[in-house]
Formats: sequence, C-alpha cells, structure tokens
Amino acid sequence: MLKPTKMTKVVIAGTKDQIEPTISTFHKLNVLHITDFSKETEDFKIGRPLKTASKFSEYLLSLRAISNQLGLKESESGKLTKVELSSDTDEKITKLQKEVSSRFDELRNIESRLKEKEDLLASVKPFFGLPLSMESYAGYETLKVYTGYIDIDLESKLIKIHSNFELFVGEHEKRKIFALFIPKEFEGEVQKLLQEERTYVELKVPQLKGNPPVIVDELTKEITGLKEKYSLIKTELENLKEEYSEFIIATDEHLSIETQKSEAPLKFATSANAFIIDGWVPSDKFDQIEAELQKNTDGKVYLTRIMEEIDEKEIPIELENPVVAKPFELLIDTFATPNYREIDPSLVLFITYPLFYALMLGDVGYGLIVTAIGLVIKQKFKTGGLNALALILLISGVFSTIFGVIYGEFFGFPIFNIEFKGHFEEGILGIFGPTIAGIHLPIHRFESVKPLLLLCFAIGIFHVLLGYIIGFRNEAVKHDLKHAIYAKGSWMMILIGGVLLIAKVMPALMSKSTMPTGDMMFLAGAGLMLIGVILLIKGEGFISILELPTLLSNVLSYSRILAIGLSSAGIALAVNTMAMNLFIRPEGVLLGGGIVLALAGVVILFIGHLINLLLGILGPGIHSLRLQYVEFFTKFYEGGGTKYLPFGHKRKYTEE
Amino acid sequence: MVDPSVVDPAIVAANAKGIIAIGAGIAVGLCGIGAGMGEQAIGAAAVGAMAEDEKFFGKGLLMTVIPESIAIFGLVVALILLFVF
Repeated sequence: MLKPTKMTKVVIAGTKDQIEPTISTFHKLNVLHITDFSKETEDFKIGRPLKTASKFSEYLLSLRAISNQLGLKESESGKLTKVELSSDTDEKITKLQKEVSSRFDELRNIESRLKEKEDLLASVKPFFGLPLSMESYAGYETLKVYTGYIDIDLESKLIKIHSNFELFVGEHEKRKIFALFIPKEFEGEVQKLLQEERTYVELKVPQLKGNPPVIVDELTKEITGLKEKYSLIKTELENLKEEYSEFIIATDEHLSIETQKSEAPLKFATSANAFIIDGWVPSDKFDQIEAELQKNTDGKVYLTRIMEEIDEKEIPIELENPVVAKPFELLIDTFATPNYREIDPSLVLFITYPLFYALMLGDVGYGLIVTAIGLVIKQKFKTGGLNALALILLISGVFSTIFGVIYGEFFGFPIFNIEFKGHFEEGILGIFGPTIAGIHLPIHRFESVKPLLLLCFAIGIFHVLLGYIIGFRNEAVKHDLKHAIYAKGSWMMILIGGVLLIAKVMPALMSKSTMPTGDMMFLAGAGLMLIGVILLIKGEGFISILELPTLLSNVLSYSRILAIGLSSAGIALAVNTMAMNLFIRPEGVLLGGGIVLALAGVVILFIGHLINLLLGILGPGIHSLRLQYVEFFTKFYEGGGTKYLPFGHKRKYTEE
Repeated sequence: MVDPSVVDPAIVAANAKGIIAIGAGIAVGLCGIGAGMGEQAIGAAAVGAMAEDEKFFGKGLLMTVIPESIAIFGLVVALILLFVF
C-alpha cells in the first residue's frame, strides 16, 4: 500500500544442461523480471533459442493462419476449457490446415465459376427479345451480323443503302433491340451509319447454342447448383470451426507459451557450458523460488541474492494496493510508472477520483446507469485495462448515486419537495428532505452556488496541500529534510498563508471597508507567505517567483467541479422543462395536447437525457482525471520507473 | 404618460442585472475562445506525440490542459459576477 512491492536483485547460474528445467520453473512461477543481457564479452554471449523454437513458431504460424481463415475470435469461446494436449498436436494441425485450405480453394473456384455463369446469363438475357436461336448469329461467310440496342427506325435508313438485308427487332426491358444480317460488301456503310447514331449500343453475342429461354434455364440451374455447393462448403467450414475452436485456442496458447519459453535464452548470458540470468524477484517470494528451483534442478542451479549498491532506476515496479484501489493503478500507469522510492498514489485516487466525479455528476438516475454500465463491461472483460476502467466507472457510479440523493436529483427531476426562487415544486417522493447532521437535504445546486463554490475551493486547497505533503515525504526520502523544506515546505507555507490572507482580504475588498491589517489571521497569513517565498527563493532561485500564480490557478481550477455539475444539471432541467411543460403536460393538464404531442415529449426526454448521460460520463471522467494529473500529481510525482513484467504466462485455456 | 426624466428604480435594477449577466457571458465566452486557441496547437502536437508513443498520454494531457486555466478564470469571474454582486 502506498509503496511499490519490495524487490530483490538475483542472479541465477547453472550449467547449460539445466537451462530447460530452469526456464520451466520460472515460467511456472511467473515471478522473475529478467534484465536483458546486452553487453557481450569474449566469454559471455547472448544465448541462443532452444532447438524447439523454430518448430513451435512454425506450428504457431500455421495455426494462426487457420484460425484467421476460419474467422475465429478468442472471445467466442468464452468458457475457459482446459484442454488436454496430446503428443500428436503437430499432425493434427497439418491435417486441419489441409482440410481448411482445400475447402477454401474450392470456395474460390466456385466463386469464379459462379461469376462466369452469371456474366453469361446477363449477356444472354437481352436476346430473349429476338426470335432466333443463339447459333444463328454466327458462322456466315458472306454475311455480317450486327446486334445491339437502338432507338430509331433502322429499316428506313438501311433501305437507302441497299434493300438486301434482314432485320429482326424486338424489345428487352423496354429498350429496342435489333439483329441485322447484311452482305459483307455493305459493312463499311452500315458501320458508319451505326457509329453516327448516338442511341446505338453494341451487344456482344455469347458463343452458345440453343434458344435463349432454354439456355437461361440451364444456366440458372447451374448457378443454383453452384450456390448450393458453396453454402454446403460454408457449413462444413462452420462445423470445422465449431469442432476445432477449442483445440485451436488451447493449442495457440500452449504453443505461444512454448515459443516464449524456447526464446527465453535470448535474454540470458551464456558461455560455452554455463548460463547466467540477471533479474528481479519480489523479496518475500525469494525463499519459495529458491526451494522450487532446488527441487526441479537437483540443486544444480544456483540462485544468489545481490546485496551490493544498486541503481534504483533499474528496479522494476510492481504496485501493491488493496483490491478496491487496484483499478486506479491504471490511471497511474497511464500517467507514468512511479519510481521505486515514490509514494504510489493509487489509494488517494481511489477516494478523490470518484469523489470529484460524483460531485460533478451527482444524479441518482445517471449514477445508477453509470453503475450498470460499469457492471456490464466488468462482466464482459474479466482482465486488462477495460476491466479496470469498468471498476472505476462502477465506483464512480455508486458515489454519484449517493451525491444524487444529497443534491436531490433524479434525471434532473427533484426527489424531494423544494422551494426554488420562491416557487414551490413537488418532488418525486412528495416529501420534504430530511435534515442530517444539521444539513438540510437536498442541497439544491442552483440555489447554493456560493457555498458549493467555496466547498470546491476548500477541496482544492486540501487536495493541493495533500500533494505537497506527499511531495515533502518523497523529497525527504530521496534527498534530506532541508531539501524537502526548501522544495515543498515553502510551497505549503505559501498556500496556507495565501489562504489565510485571501480569507481576510476578499471580504474587505467586497464590502470596500479598510484592510484588516491588524487582524491576527491577516498577520499570520502574510508572515507565513513571506517565509515561504524566502525559502522558495533560497531553495530554487529567483525564477521560481514566476511560478507563484500557478498556485492560484491550481486552486481556482477546482471550480470546474461546480461548473460541470451545474451544466449537467442545467441540461437535465432544460430537457425536463421542455418535455413536461410543452408536450406531456401543456398548461398543467396531463396529455392536454393529445397523445402525439405527449409522445414527442417522451422522445425529447429520451434523446436529451441520452446526450446528457454521454456528456455526463465523458466530462466528469476527464475533468476529474485532469484535476488529479495536473493539480495533484505535479506537486509530487516524478515517475520514470520500469514496470515489473515477470517471465511467465497466465494460462487461460490449458493446463500445465 | 410616463415622464422620461423620472427613472423607475425597478427598471434600473433590472438593467443592472442584465448588464451583469452580459458581462458574465462575455467573461466566459472570450476566455473560452482564448483557451481554445491555446489548446488547439498543444493538442495537435500532443496527439502527434501519442501516435508515436502511447506513453505520452499522461504528459500530453497535462500539457494540453495548461491553457484551460484561462477558461477557469473566466468562469470564476462570471460566477462572482452572477452570485456575489
């Protein structure tokens, strides 16, 4: 909690014949963060992958190709079946690949034949309009045949050329179609005539025999046959997919693990007969690892703890937090991985992030929906970033619901009876809010802008101060107390002094009375601020004066909590007012404008709240994060650590 | 008839209120434009950096929102105008 896991630097050494059991042991334990060996010397070289590596990666490649062709998605087999892996895996993969690729070849073949037949069909269809069989269009020695669409009366024009011709006309899809048979000696003239006619479109005669209707019948039959075959193969592929999906997924995982294992020596240093691994393990697991290694290698591999001075930048960082604060590590990692001696602020984020979010959103209806969305995503994604995000959303949603009760808002409708600007409004529950701990609920956001604004500033002051306190601790650990006072203590004094000063000066300025220069608080504030500035200049130089205004803007920045909350509540109120007063209850009568208007009102209500909800997830989410990153983290956070990535793999589908 | 030389105090108050509201609007609006102009260049650069390396998200966000304090100043001025005066 608050600090990363303690790590121990280790060196593992052994003879080369023990390399495989060593790799297996560590892979199973999933604890060793390996430091890559990079500085080759005469004696020690980077290790070579195990012999099995190329074989495994080859199988993996074909397997991935198969699953790609079958369109297999990992999430499809949601259940985590543990599959027994037999020794004939390689044969099975080869066989499967053959089956799948032969079917795909066939599919492609059918596709091209289908295309061919369909083209033919399309080209035959126009000849329906002419009373000739297909073979009569070709095979003449002295005749030239023209076929095509044309929009004019061809006969009258042809007679001008010569009377010796035969013309057939018909219609296809409301376009005139013709076939002209004319002796070859008139070819040139006819060609010219047709070329000059804009409506002429040439039709190629397909090389077929028989009457067009018969041909079309045959072609249609063939196409149906091909289509049936196509869908048959598709079903076969579907069946294959169903039958082998578990096998593919499990084998994929198994092979990935094996490949990872056999490529591990690339990170080791090896000599002719020995190997050395450099790495880090969590300190509390050292004994367990030692025992396990001893057992699996008959004590032939040595694990040694390195106690000498180490470079802190090298230490891998594993954040350690209670389950509830774990998802917030995502937000930390997104910013930067902390370094080894820094405070890990996940736990602080666990409180402040949802708090700011809820202060902004603060609506029972929206809160419940956000909670539900969080739950749904959490169900869908059990691990990884999305799961963490879902949990953050879930916690924020719950907080928002609670604040919704405090604000007394349900989709912008008042929960309790309220009096707003002298105008009474009945709430959903129809009762007045209770008074808890001297605060009368609900706190109506539009009514109490001033106190809420002050609350936001107060939250800001505390948040920034907390940042400086953590920063003070970090500096004190990293350097010394003196340094911490110069760098962070000075800022704390300026902040506290400034707050005291402003608390006295502002009211005086507002009421235009004289400055309360004699007041104790004023003097204390001014004094504290002065000492702070002096310390700051001494510690960080004159230039740091320029940074003073940032403190003011940091604290003022928290007013966004109120601003975003007001805008969200404002949109909800506007939507509700529009829908209720204009459509659902015009002039106070329910359904006064008829059912259609009421329905329009419902639609407005729905769309309006949907948009507001989307804004309500996005806005508070981003701005709450911004307050953490910009106002809070800049006070203490350095980052720059390396993430702890243990050598190993979490098996999802297979067993050891 | 209303004598133009006599000013109704109710109208004066209403006018003052209206002018305050306009002032608040100008404060928020102009500050928003200013912040937006600042943010556009930084934001574009930050997205570019993120496309290169996703680790820049945190730093990018931090840099992008720096001009936002201008908008917040405008907001505070507006809130003070509306609710304190």
